[in-house]
This record gives sequence, structure tokens and C-alpha cells, in this order.
Amino acid sequence: MSLYLIQLINGLGIGMIYFMISVGLSIIFGTMNFVNFAHGAFYLLGAYLCYAVVAATGSFWLALAVAPPAMALTGWFAERYLLSRLYHAPHQYQILVTLGLALVIQEGVMLVWGAIGQNVATPVLLQGVVVFGSFVYPKYRLFVIGFTALLTFVLWLALERTRYGAILRAGTESTEMVALLGIDIFRMFSFTFALGAYLAGLAGGLTAPISGADPFMGPGALSVAFVVVVIGGIGSFSGALAGGLLIGVVQSEMSSLWSEGANIMIYVAMALVILVRPRGLLGRA
Amino acid sequence: MRRLLQPHVELAVSLAAVVVLPIVLPSIAMATEVVIFIIATLGCNLLIGYVGLMSFGQAIFFGVGAYACSLTLLHSHVGIGAGLLAAIAASAIVALFVGFLSTQKRGIYFVMLTFAFSQMFYFIAYAMAGLTGGDNGLLDIPRPPLVLFHVTLLSLTPPLEMYGLAAVVFVALFVFLQRVITSPFGSTLQAIRENEQRAIAVGYNTRNFKVIAFVLSGVVTGIAGALYALFLQFAPLGNIDVSMSERIIVMSILGGTGSLFGSVLGGTFYVVAGNMLSAIWPRWLLLLGLILMVVGCYLQGGLLGAAERLARRIGRRGPRAMTPAASNKPVGRP
Repeated sequence: MSLYLIQLINGLGIGMIYFMISVGLSIIFGTMNFVNFAHGAFYLLGAYLCYAVVAATGSFWLALAVAPPAMALTGWFAERYLLSRLYHAPHQYQILVTLGLALVIQEGVMLVWGAIGQNVATPVLLQGVVVFGSFVYPKYRLFVIGFTALLTFVLWLALERTRYGAILRAGTESTEMVALLGIDIFRMFSFTFALGAYLAGLAGGLTAPISGADPFMGPGALSVAFVVVVIGGIGSFSGALAGGLLIGVVQSEMSSLWSEGANIMIYVAMALVILVRPRGLLGRA
Repeated sequence: MRRLLQPHVELAVSLAAVVVLPIVLPSIAMATEVVIFIIATLGCNLLIGYVGLMSFGQAIFFGVGAYACSLTLLHSHVGIGAGLLAAIAASAIVALFVGFLSTQKRGIYFVMLTFAFSQMFYFIAYAMAGLTGGDNGLLDIPRPPLVLFHVTLLSLTPPLEMYGLAAVVFVALFVFLQRVITSPFGSTLQAIRENEQRAIAVGYNTRNFKVIAFVLSGVVTGIAGALYALFLQFAPLGNIDVSMSERIIVMSILGGTGSLFGSVLGGTFYVVAGNMLSAIWPRWLLLLGLILMVVGCYLQGGLLGAAERLARRIGRRGPRAMTPAASNKPVGRP
């Protein structure tokens, strides 16, 4: 019983990380009809920037404050000077260029930090475990769940209650209509990219103390993010949250039973959703 | 659309390349790898260049072809021809399944479907370790001599004979694919690429055409996988990894789609540059990434497109045609 409970909580933590990687990808996909194969590399670079700041200053909190904004800047630059050229190009060139960008980031990371993964120490404040009777759980993992839940709430407020959020939500419906209302959609695209890269980078930073920073963590994260985006519904914030948690929990619960089976299942689910219900679980028709 | 090289010239140049490659390249093994990946790229090019379908599923067929050929040779004493036939049959069946489902969707959804199938088959191959060897792959694959009517044509023991087999298969497939794309069937595929709605309006069942093209592409890629397994005498799990699909797609677009000869350029460039640069600098993929960005933004015709543009600029005698590069020019920010 308690094993399943612990795996459920593990799954929630992993699911929240999946959500943070996927939500930017999903919104970018939904508004710009642009598939960013470099999104996994943003997650990777976020983890390494976090590692670099911790290695230089010893402060994980500083890393968490500095690395994600640096990723937002990276995402903004990438969109503004590279990817925005491709909005009208056939999608194979969008994929080619983003694959190229992902390679450049991945190889650049190995050039700077080496080809072997790096460990990031858990911050002192969050070392050790929490004990509730017979229930024992690492503090840091609980922190990740709490922190990402708080962030999700803030994001949701921003999307629902601010002018920018309204523009973004309108953008996932129809960018043409938003542009007709006199809103500079290209600025919106740049901002969305920056936000997506920020969240992916933050996800990388938060994972680093759990599983370390590894130069090859990008492609795996990207393909799980594709599953989450498709299953949740392209362009849907709540869909990405539901999809992320679902995949996280399924993978975690299946990990001791049959982990390859879980991986086969999630891609079967992805294909089925595209074929049968392309708008996903929570996407709009 | 007239190209720089007419089909018979392309064939002649490809034949010349087959003869020259083992001489100019540092090893026959590298030439063999080049030819095998050119075959895989031809299969991918048929889809991207002639139907406008970008498939992330090519690794499935490459991997299935490799496994089918290896398992046939490992578990029975039939000849190499039977191994290749098994690869053809297995990749055709799998491609029919994947193609039938994937072509239900268009554009980016097609890409995502093939991506999902690619991951699915990777984890299936990983889980079926009893059959595929899982993470270790299949080892010690026999390479029996090529025998026809009790006459040994190639013993396949010296590297040059393995190269010969790959080269003969390549030339045969090149001629076959040239016939396919110049046939009425091929013209219909190109009509689908240009404007699928119009092709439907004219009365074509475009779904069927796309599925047939997908199966043809899968079989060609499966043959490449089988040859790769024979060449290495090893069928690693990496054959069926989605990164193999990416590698094949990159070779196709890098060389230039819309002409089979582009695949010869792309496959040669990727394998030769990869082998030579990785020996000097393990981070050579950084350069490849930069090249991909440049090609995607500025040289959408790939290497072949660049050569055509250069030839036109130099001679002004070359055929003047509307190039795909001109019509697809990326539109920047207004």
C-alpha cells in the first residue's frame, strides 16, 4: 500500500515537471502552429545553467532565480532572430532548423561542461526526509510538488486574469483575429517563446538535484512532452497539466511492474488520441 | 520542372559515384556505409520530396529490416537472398500498418503520428529482448555467400564484395525509383505534394497513393537496414531509435529533396563528414546543427539546390526553371 502511495507522489512530482516542460511547447504549437524540436534542449540547458550557478556560488536558490530567466532570454533570442523567419516556411524546414538548434545546444553543453553528467547537490534546507508516522518522503521532492503547484496557480491567474493572458488565450483560437484587433502578434510570439523556455529551463533546474544534469536528457524530455501535449490537447493549459500528471503517475506506478510496457502504452495512447480525438482530453474543438 | 541533371545523367553520375567511392574514401567500409545510408535516404526522399510527407517512422523500417534479415539468417540456413526477402516482407507489412494509420492525418499531425509510432516500435523492440536482443542487439549475424543456381556470385567475405552487394542493390533501387517517379503514379504523387485538394478534386484517391508511397519508402529503407545488419554483422537497438529517423531525414533534406540525386549527395556528405570530423573533433554535431539551421533558413533546396543555383549563376546557360527555393522563400517578419 505505502509503496503505491509513494509511487503516486513520485508520479505527481514527475508529472508536474512534465507539465512545466510541455505547457510552453503546447501553447507555441497551438498559437503558431510551430513544432519546436529544440524545446527539450531548453530543458537541458536550464539544468546545466542551474548546475553552473550552483557550482560557482554554492547557492541553489540563486540558481533557481538566475537560470530560468537566462533561458527565457535564450528562447526570446532564438525566436526573434531565427525561428520567426520560418513561420511561413513548410513545416519540414521548421523541424530541420529546430533540430539543428537542439543539436547546437546539446553539443555546446558538452563542449562547456563535458560529455559526462553532473550532479547538483540538494539545497541544505531541503536535505533529508519528512516523517509522518510510517510515511517517509524526501523533503526536496515535496518541495518540487509544492513549488510547481504554486507556480501553476500563478500561471493560471496570469492566463485568466491579465490582459496578456487574454491575448494568449485568444491567440490559441485564432491568431489572425488577434492580429486584426490591432495586437502585435509577433511580439506575443516572442513573449510566448520566452515564457516556454523559462518554464522548460525551470523544470530542468528543479530536476537537477533529483536526477542530475545529463547532456542527453533533451530528446527524452521532448518526446514525453509531445505525448503530454497531444494527450492533453494542443494549446491547452489545463490539458498540459492533466496530461503531464497522468503520464507521470502512469509511468511511476508502472515502473516497478513493467516500465517498457508503460512506455509502449503512452505512445499507443498518443497515436490513438491523434487518430480518434485530435483535440485531446481538454483541448477545444 | 526541369532540373540541372536529367534522369539519365543522374543515373550516370550515381554509377560513377559507386565506382569512385571505394577508391577515394579512406576505407571500403566507409564507402559501404555511405551506400547503405544513401539507400535509406532514397526511401525517405520519395516521401518528403515527391509526396510532401515528412516521416519520423523511417527508423522503424530500418530497424525492422535489420531484425528480419538478421533473425532469418541466425535461425535458419537459408541464403542471403532469403534474408533480404524477409526484410522486404517484414518492412512492407509494418509500413502498411503505420502508413495506413498515419496517412489519415495531414501536415504536422502526420509528423506527430509517425513520431509516436517510431517511439512505440522502439520500446516494443526493447521489451521483446528475447527476439531482438533488447539493449544488446543481435550479435554474430552470419553473412552467407550470395549463391544463385549453385554458382557462388559473391563470397561476401572481403570488404569489397560486401560493398559490391550494397552497390548493386543501390543501383537497382535507384533505377527502380526513377521509374516510379517518372511513371503516371509518380506524377500523381507530385500532384498530391503540390496541391492535395486539387488532386482529390480531379478524382484521385490520394489516401491510397500515399499509403503505397509509404510502403515503397518503408521497403527501400528496410532493405537498407538489412544491408546494414549484414555489413556490421550486428543489429543494434539504435537502428530503430527515433534518432535514426532524424539522421535519415537530415540526410534527405541536407542533400536536397525533389530529386533522387540529392539523396546521393546528402547520404555521402553526412556519412563522410560524420566519420572524418568525429575522428578529429567529437563535437562535430555542433557544426552539423549550424549547417541544418543555415540550410533550413537560406538553402531550402539543400546541397543539390545550392549546386543548381551556382550553376545557373555561372553559366546562365543552365535550364532556367522555377526552383522550389524561389517559391518557398521564407517570409520574415513584416
